[in-house]
Amino acid sequence: MKNSMSRRQFILAAGALAGSAVLAGCGGSSTSSSSTSTSTDSSSSSASASDDSYTLVKDGTLTVVAELGFAPFEYMNDQTGDPEGFDVDVINAVAEKMGLQCEYLPNQKFDTLVPLIKQGGKADVSIAAITITDVREESVDFSEPYLDSNQAIVAIKGSTETEATLNDASKQVVCQGGTTGNDWITENLPNATCVPVDDVTAALTGVQTGLYNAMVVDLPVAKYMLTNSFSDLDIIEEIATGEQYGIAISKDNPNLTKAVNKALEDMKSDGTMDSIETKWFGSTI
Amino acid sequence: MSHMHENAMTRGESHHTRCVPALALALSVALVLVATLALLPVSALAMTTNKATARPNEDGGSGVIGAMDTRLTWEGTVGDDEEVSSITLSLPEGATFDHASTRITVLDGLNRTSIDGTATSSGNSVDVQFSEGIPAGSLVRLEITNMQFPADGGDYVVSGGYTTADGQSHVLDDSAAITVIANTPLQAAVSWLDAQPWVAAWNSNPFLGMFFKPQLLLTSFASLFPGWLVCLGIVLACYPFAIVLGLAFAMLKTSRHKVLRAIAICYINLLRGTPLFLQIYIMFFGLPMVGINIDNNVLGVIVMAVNSSAYLAEIFRAGIQSIPQGQYEAAASLGMNGFQTMTSIILPQTVRRVIPTVTSDFITSYKDTSLLSSVGVMELMMFSKNLTTTTGNITPYMAAAIYYLIVTLPLIKVVGIIENNIARSERGGGPRPKRRAVAGASQQASKAEEELTASAEVSHVEAAKPAADVFAALSAPFVSHPTVDLGGVADGE
Amino acid sequence: MASKHRHSHGDVPVVPDALSAEEAANLAFASDQTLTKHHFTEGEHPIVRIEHLNKSFDETKVLRDVNLDVWPGEVVVVLGPSGSGKSTMLRCINLLETPTAGHILIEDQEITGQSKTDVNKLRREVGMVFQSFNLFPHLTAKQNVMIGQTKVLKRSKEDAEAEAMKQLTAVGLADRADFKPPQLSGGQQQRVAIARAVAMHPNVLLFDEPTSALDPELVRGVLDVIRDLAENSGMTMIVVTHEMDFAREVADRVVFMEDGVVVEQGVPEKVFDHPENARTAEFLGSIG
Repeated sequence: MKNSMSRRQFILAAGALAGSAVLAGCGGSSTSSSSTSTSTDSSSSSASASDDSYTLVKDGTLTVVAELGFAPFEYMNDQTGDPEGFDVDVINAVAEKMGLQCEYLPNQKFDTLVPLIKQGGKADVSIAAITITDVREESVDFSEPYLDSNQAIVAIKGSTETEATLNDASKQVVCQGGTTGNDWITENLPNATCVPVDDVTAALTGVQTGLYNAMVVDLPVAKYMLTNSFSDLDIIEEIATGEQYGIAISKDNPNLTKAVNKALEDMKSDGTMDSIETKWFGSTI
Repeated sequence: MSHMHENAMTRGESHHTRCVPALALALSVALVLVATLALLPVSALAMTTNKATARPNEDGGSGVIGAMDTRLTWEGTVGDDEEVSSITLSLPEGATFDHASTRITVLDGLNRTSIDGTATSSGNSVDVQFSEGIPAGSLVRLEITNMQFPADGGDYVVSGGYTTADGQSHVLDDSAAITVIANTPLQAAVSWLDAQPWVAAWNSNPFLGMFFKPQLLLTSFASLFPGWLVCLGIVLACYPFAIVLGLAFAMLKTSRHKVLRAIAICYINLLRGTPLFLQIYIMFFGLPMVGINIDNNVLGVIVMAVNSSAYLAEIFRAGIQSIPQGQYEAAASLGMNGFQTMTSIILPQTVRRVIPTVTSDFITSYKDTSLLSSVGVMELMMFSKNLTTTTGNITPYMAAAIYYLIVTLPLIKVVGIIENNIARSERGGGPRPKRRAVAGASQQASKAEEELTASAEVSHVEAAKPAADVFAALSAPFVSHPTVDLGGVADGE
Repeated sequence: MASKHRHSHGDVPVVPDALSAEEAANLAFASDQTLTKHHFTEGEHPIVRIEHLNKSFDETKVLRDVNLDVWPGEVVVVLGPSGSGKSTMLRCINLLETPTAGHILIEDQEITGQSKTDVNKLRREVGMVFQSFNLFPHLTAKQNVMIGQTKVLKRSKEDAEAEAMKQLTAVGLADRADFKPPQLSGGQQQRVAIARAVAMHPNVLLFDEPTSALDPELVRGVLDVIRDLAENSGMTMIVVTHEMDFAREVADRVVFMEDGVVVEQGVPEKVFDHPENARTAEFLGSIG
């Protein structure tokens, strides 16, 4: 009986995969001393109309949930286990502008992020390279887009696969479950078998070992992973989707969306966004 | 083809514009040339249609169903020398863009150009006016959400036209056909549910709507079915192998040879001591790395069989060791050899004793096929995960739960029945054979009957007790894989 | 206690080689003539010879230098208090226990130290009825009686079935042929066990306390069956029991064992009525 419990426990553990089950702070840039610079925002909003107030899961804290396996957008630092990445810096800056602490929940599977925000009660926002789509907008609100992105088809180096050859019943194309890559495969490669898996590393490893013929994933992530871990893989096709990432926020909390948008706007105008982009992508986008 | 077309057009023009200067004639020829050349994919002279696709709207399936909301994605590239200010897309009669909303994406290479626009839909066409002209060479993507294809299935092409900044209208070449299937009875049932007030009331409860949305439950059942078959197929295919392997390793573990015992112990402990999830990962990612490529489903069967065999080996070993020593002695005293003793005395009794535990292990294995979803085996959890992902609703998981229960509940019941039967027969109950009519045995029979009634219960209390203990030990962990202590208890015999 | 034993020499007692068949037969005849009701015939050899049999379990010596000869057709009843080594001696005869030292010969064939196949062959010659019946619970009474015949003796199913019904009829259980052991009373089970052993037509039949596990009212039926076998089958039988009346009635010879040693043996009347040994007298007194 013990043994079978351990089987089940492992499944649970697998859900919170990378193991860091502790709440991780947002890293060095998060701050509590930002009250002076942001007090104007919050005080003005609360002064002008009480309707502008938003609710938070935890007072004074912006609780964030993400799938922390999507480098360079969000991933866990090997040593500290803290979340790092472009999105992490963005949400830290947003929280700072709002005069809030920023706190990450343990790692969640990507396809549970939108339902989790929709349900509410656990996290205030999710920032995880989530593309704004009509379907998702039925469940949650999105902030203004903070980054443009595209998709990529990744295959083993020297592969002769193309979008056309992949659209075949004998082909297995892997993706992270619930991503726009997932949607892209079902719509554009209807004949291939679409295999959604939980994390990018598992998917790319599968491509590397020949288990799958190709993977469809966000272009920046493909570039990053191929440079850093999967040098024997290649981007065989860049898919110009021009999709845009937004921060997912519950529909019950429209004022939080407004506040986040305000923060994003400030970040764009004061150069914060540019510096974060430069930090992670070498230039502004 | 293009030449004939050109000639026909030219002739037509010349009929009506006989007096027009030759320059104008040449211009119109050039225009027609441009229009026809646009048919060639490499042409960059005029706007080209790259592709048009529709988002599958068959719940859990990959089909595009007519008369149901879907999303049309049209993609085109602006010609080299033009600037596009509006695009009109049309579908055949029956399609509707009413209530649709359009998302505009303009890209220069991979970079997004911030151009907005307004879409006006009327019936089977939609007209998009851009806030500013789209520069030459740009990629334009129009995603039209909540549009519907005609109710009748068929292949539909997206046609249309565009206007350039200089006010000229052009015809767009037709897209490749989009295959649309007719509305299915299932979707009809869903539509019927959609219209029911009680369904709306039901769904307005956040919990019920999230976990037991009737429409989704219905479509989930249909679309999870193949996944259920895969689950059943995998566990049914793996189990015979698991039983044979398990029996073999049970024999090895009870062997007198140290090396054989050590092999069995390593095998069993390694497999029981590591999570199935890990074993699946190792097999699915490890084997291809060393150049062994096996079909996913077959590999799934292999992993499940190997994993289950370790648990079955322990069940069988405990079962074998729970058979009292007296049985071996009785067989030996008749002159049976080890093989005969095993096959005709020990194993038949073991089988009866382990059936409940083995059935429980089967239930566990059946449920554990869900772990194969993590490596892309298209089983029940995979289907329901996909469905939950696309719908943002938990109901598909509930449908999956029902599919699991369809199998597990009856089996659990069966385990209970078998347990009762075994317990009863070991206590001396159970069905009695019909009285045999043997001549000359009647006086003996009546005497025997007397003996039986006088003492059956009394004399069997002692004999039944150890058997019942063993049985309890064997069946106690029946909800899951039994543990080693089973063997320990059984050894007490 | 072990140190007092005169044969103890290290862990394994050293015993002389088995006697030659002729020598043994002569010696046995000389000693057994007065000890048994058996009717000796000219040139007869004992069917079972036990010479210097020693058996220990770990440190405990259970049998110490047991010597016994059993003649064809003789019914020997072994008596003695619990733990006297009676059952162990019996189990050594068909090698359910391996002797620590000494010799056992069946029909002048030494069985100790032989290979496994021969053990199985030997066991066809030596049947056994156990204290706890040890019927095969998954088989019917008839199948219990048949299985040894078909698997070991390779008899046809029909022959085996006929033999089984014959033996079941003999023990009065023909009408229970299709019952499974758990559906039978203890007495009935033991009678099926006897039928199972007899159906193999062994030369020697061993009974290991066949009635000890039975309720008193069931003992008689089983003893009747054994008595019938003893009187009519002509089979050699060694019976370990506590049933004194039965021993007196049926035995050709009574052997009294205590503490792993044969203390006294002789015809029942002599051992029961005029025991020579004080321990025998005490034991019989306590039982009687």
